[in-house]
Amino acid sequence: MNYDVPFWNPYLETLPREKLDELRLKKFRRIFRWAYERSKFHRNLYQQAGIQPDDIRSLEDVAKVPKVEKSMMRDIQRKDPFPYGDALCVPLDEVTEFRQTSGTTGQPVYQADTWQDWEWWSECWATLLWAQGYRPSDRVFLPFGYNIFVAFWAGHYACEKIGCETVPGGVLDTKARILKMQEIKATAMMCTPTYVLGMADTATNKLGLNPASDLGIRRITCAGEPGALIPATKKRMEQAWGAKVFDHVGATEIGAWGFECADQPGALHVNEAMFLAQIEDMETGEPITGPGKPGKLVITALDRIAQPCIRFDSKDIVEFSDDKCSCGRTYRLMPGGVIGRADDITKVKGVLLAPSAIEDVVRSIPGLGDEYEVVVEKRGDVDHILLKVELSEGAEIPQKEMEARLSTELRVRTNLGYEIQIHSYGTLPRFEVKARRFKDLRKHGVS
Amino acid sequence: MEQQIDPKQLAPIVEDLCRLAQVLYDRSQDWPALNRNSRRILASVEMLKINLGRDSD
Ligand SMILES: [Zn+2]
Repeated sequence: MNYDVPFWNPYLETLPREKLDELRLKKFRRIFRWAYERSKFHRNLYQQAGIQPDDIRSLEDVAKVPKVEKSMMRDIQRKDPFPYGDALCVPLDEVTEFRQTSGTTGQPVYQADTWQDWEWWSECWATLLWAQGYRPSDRVFLPFGYNIFVAFWAGHYACEKIGCETVPGGVLDTKARILKMQEIKATAMMCTPTYVLGMADTATNKLGLNPASDLGIRRITCAGEPGALIPATKKRMEQAWGAKVFDHVGATEIGAWGFECADQPGALHVNEAMFLAQIEDMETGEPITGPGKPGKLVITALDRIAQPCIRFDSKDIVEFSDDKCSCGRTYRLMPGGVIGRADDITKVKGVLLAPSAIEDVVRSIPGLGDEYEVVVEKRGDVDHILLKVELSEGAEIPQKEMEARLSTELRVRTNLGYEIQIHSYGTLPRFEVKARRFKDLRKHGVS
Repeated sequence: MEQQIDPKQLAPIVEDLCRLAQVLYDRSQDWPALNRNSRRILASVEMLKINLGRDSD
């Protein structure tokens, strides 16, 4: 096999736009009919909307298909067949994989996959890993607590599919994982941006190692949080590890739908041969097809059969670009990747605030550590933002000076004022999986 | 790309694979090893169909 081929699938990844559109329409019609004919949940949903498979004649028609929200999936899981409910499109005996969502926004949603679906998951991941330079010669370490959540499981299987040597770094603590990576000369790893920085911190401050020179990691694939496309966070990770850091996005209910390629265009490619990504206006719900206008991602997994994902309301905020990527893929780009979550992008004092903007500012300032926390609450009738940050290990910067710099840079970037608390190194909470650093107490009382 | 790829020429080969694996699967209801392994081959064949843009559909 020729390792120099830049594409996992040279045919699909370079399809001209009109061919790609033909393929996506063909596949959408297929999965829509599949779900309509096999799932009571989907059939009822579509019949109530007065739409049936033959009504889908163009990609524009797809916008008529009702969206599915996570809350709907929670509701149907009280129905038969146990435990998935009537969105299931295959006999239970065909299901080989159980996963569930993390439950950060409520009751977890169960996800069924057949072996074919699992092959499909690893196919999607193989596409992105190959695009990021993974080859059979890599020894890939997964410092990840293998469990009931899908994160990185598919990455593991995709590494095997590609032919990489795949090392499960499951139930080891952070120090043991770092030492094992050093011992076996791992060349790549996958984890959340938070953990990439946390591991570098442990290596440096607890093991006396310099990850960039003492470990041979050449590439890192991130998931679970947006940091790998937040410029300041990416820079910190790449400098700490002396490695290329790439983003990828996916979700339990959807699959791995977007990825950054080796050319690092500051954007995600949508894997358009496998997913139909549509953006709609956050307020009006109107489709957005042109570049430069952010909206909510509504997405279809075109080949996933057990528990289909058809027009799923992802709550991710994204935008299209019409730029062509230098890598040669024809898959459309989304600059900045997932810019935020509809749940998190919120109005504070009448101004739209994206937590990723705060992260970019915090991590661009030397002397500040990687951890931070944002708490938005009402004080009387007024919105109030508290930002807690940490100094990096050994940093000796006058507190007033740091506060003034942060305050100025945050105001320029977000148009808002903040109460800033500067804590000493090691005092803010550490996260291994999905960090919850943004708390809006106005909405829920708790976050 | 070094080599021109024509999925239309490759699609019939995938169809042959699919047919053969299906025969094995159908005939092995009382032979779990053959049955489950041919089932997994069918799942892989489905990926080949996806790889070729479902040109064989
Ligand atoms: Zn690219």
